[in-house]
Amino acid sequence: MTPRTRRGIEFVLDNLVWFMLLFVLIVFSTFVPNYFQLGIFANIIEASSVLGVLSIGLSLVIIAGHMDLSVESVAALSAMAVGILFCSAGIGIGVQLQPEWLAVPVSLLVAITVGGLVGLLNGFLIVRMKMNAFIITLASFIWVRGLVVAVSGGRSAQDLAPAIRWFGIQRVLGLPLTAWIAVSCFIVFSVLMAKTPYGRHLKMIGGNETATYRAGIRVARNLVIAFVLAGAIAGLAGWLLTVRTSGATANLGVGLLFNAFAAVVIGGVSLKGGVGSLPGVYAGVLLLSSINTAINLMGLPANFTQVIHGLLVLAAVMLDTLKQSVRRRLA
Amino acid sequence: MTEPLLVLEDIRKNFGAIEALKGVSFSIGKGEVVALLGDNGAGKSTLVKIIAGGHEASSGRMLFEGREYRAKTPAEGKAMGIETVYQDLSLCTNVDVVSNFFMGREITRRVLGIPILDEKAMEREVAKALAEAGTRIPSLRVNVEHLSGGQRQAIELNRFVHWGGKLVLLDEPFAALGVEQTRRGLEMIRHVASQGIGVVIITHIMQQAFQVADRIVVIRQGVVAGDVPTHQTTPDAVIRMITGEALAGTGPAAAKR
Ligand SMILES: Nc1ncnc2c1ncn2[C@@H]1O[C@H](COP(=O)(O)OP(=O)(O)O)[C@@H](O)[C@H]1O
Ligand SMILES: [Mg+2]
Repeated sequence: MTPRTRRGIEFVLDNLVWFMLLFVLIVFSTFVPNYFQLGIFANIIEASSVLGVLSIGLSLVIIAGHMDLSVESVAALSAMAVGILFCSAGIGIGVQLQPEWLAVPVSLLVAITVGGLVGLLNGFLIVRMKMNAFIITLASFIWVRGLVVAVSGGRSAQDLAPAIRWFGIQRVLGLPLTAWIAVSCFIVFSVLMAKTPYGRHLKMIGGNETATYRAGIRVARNLVIAFVLAGAIAGLAGWLLTVRTSGATANLGVGLLFNAFAAVVIGGVSLKGGVGSLPGVYAGVLLLSSINTAINLMGLPANFTQVIHGLLVLAAVMLDTLKQSVRRRLA
Repeated sequence: MTEPLLVLEDIRKNFGAIEALKGVSFSIGKGEVVALLGDNGAGKSTLVKIIAGGHEASSGRMLFEGREYRAKTPAEGKAMGIETVYQDLSLCTNVDVVSNFFMGREITRRVLGIPILDEKAMEREVAKALAEAGTRIPSLRVNVEHLSGGQRQAIELNRFVHWGGKLVLLDEPFAALGVEQTRRGLEMIRHVASQGIGVVIITHIMQQAFQVADRIVVIRQGVVAGDVPTHQTTPDAVIRMITGEALAGTGPAAAKR
């Protein structure tokens, strides 16, 4: 095999999910009536913003060789915190700030801090106390959701402060600002992971933790930061969720975790750690969103979405195995 | 012997009920190459890890450049100038050669105050270091998982030569290398020592020890069973020390038994 074909194959393998996305979009555009419209594509990006942001945090932790099952509940808790503080109906207490726009940074800060604190607790227990990540974050998944239900009493908050809701309404180049926030998050964290020592270290820790420790990398510190980031990013996803629904309910975001896992795996992140990149995860998110949109347009019952997502995850895992064996043959 | 770089005094290490080291004492001079020999399970790797900071000694004392030394983490050992090549290689196979070479010491440049990896500068340095050592690797951007065992070991060896430091610990560094690469590796060790760096090399191959070492230290069942200048001993004598047929040389072995 010439180095050239080899590099070609490597390129396709590395970017497989983008090719899949392109393929799916072409197929849908050809066969699904009304699919091929700018508005539809904008809709795909818009509908995927919460899932996208949530997937970023999950990816960081998985690439570092760990696991965070709590992100969905953390997003809900942050959403509920913002909802209670800044909604004026239901259980919302409608905090008024002067000037009004102050509600934006303050609500963001609340959402990110709430998420970051849960992440810090997760990180402390897992990294410093050396407890099992799966169990600890499963526990957080349960108690954080429980907290959401408890503080809301099962009721909801409505009528979000207009200054915050503005982000869901105001459009730039056809996309609401919430979608732009998601896109910027992907850009920022893609740079963090691919271009900074911190991102490089996380990936190497996921590959061989002993080696990084021996090389003098501060493994524990880096991992705790990853958990805090995952929590904080989940908090941001919760904020976006509040903006999108203009309020918060106790069961907000239920089921997001599985979609996030699907997106991350489809996006080429290996659950064994050390493998994957954020642009790929974004493609995975868009792929899921494209399929949802197609299902909607075809008027299929929404329940099909779950079946298809499940099959997609299976396909993604099989594809991952296939990719690995192709790579081994290349070597 | 030259001025001592590292002095070990009565180092002991227990793993639960197992006494891996039962009081090891010897020293390493600046620019000296010490070959550490001993049977499987004698405690050589444990000793190296204690010096490097991977394990903490249960008791005993170390002096590094005349000052009390005790590393709790490999990072601390590294900060003192101690480089280690571990028996089970310490490479991250999921990233490329350049990333491994610079693991934990990446070259960065600031963009808007944020440290950004300077890939070009790192690649240049790695290419230079490998070329000087005569190591050929098809692409520096290929993930290490695609490289052979020999190539991986070569990367680790070049890495320590490049970073230098004051003391180098090599735990069976040539196990996966071919004849020619091993010869070059031994040359590299002599070159490193000639710069005043102390070297401890663990090997199972007697011939290598006699080729490269100034002094041979034999560990048997957690104690020093022999500590002799290379030119004052023979491979046969060393083998007898390793197997315990004769208690040649110095060390507390005779007292312990
Ligand atoms: N982490 C550990 N836990 C328990 N026992 C260990 C550990 N590391 C080494 N040992 C034991 O200590 C002894 C010395 O091992 P080692 O230093 O690896 O020997 P060598 O490198 O000379 O072959 C062996 O009996 C080994 O089983
Ligand atoms: Mg050993």
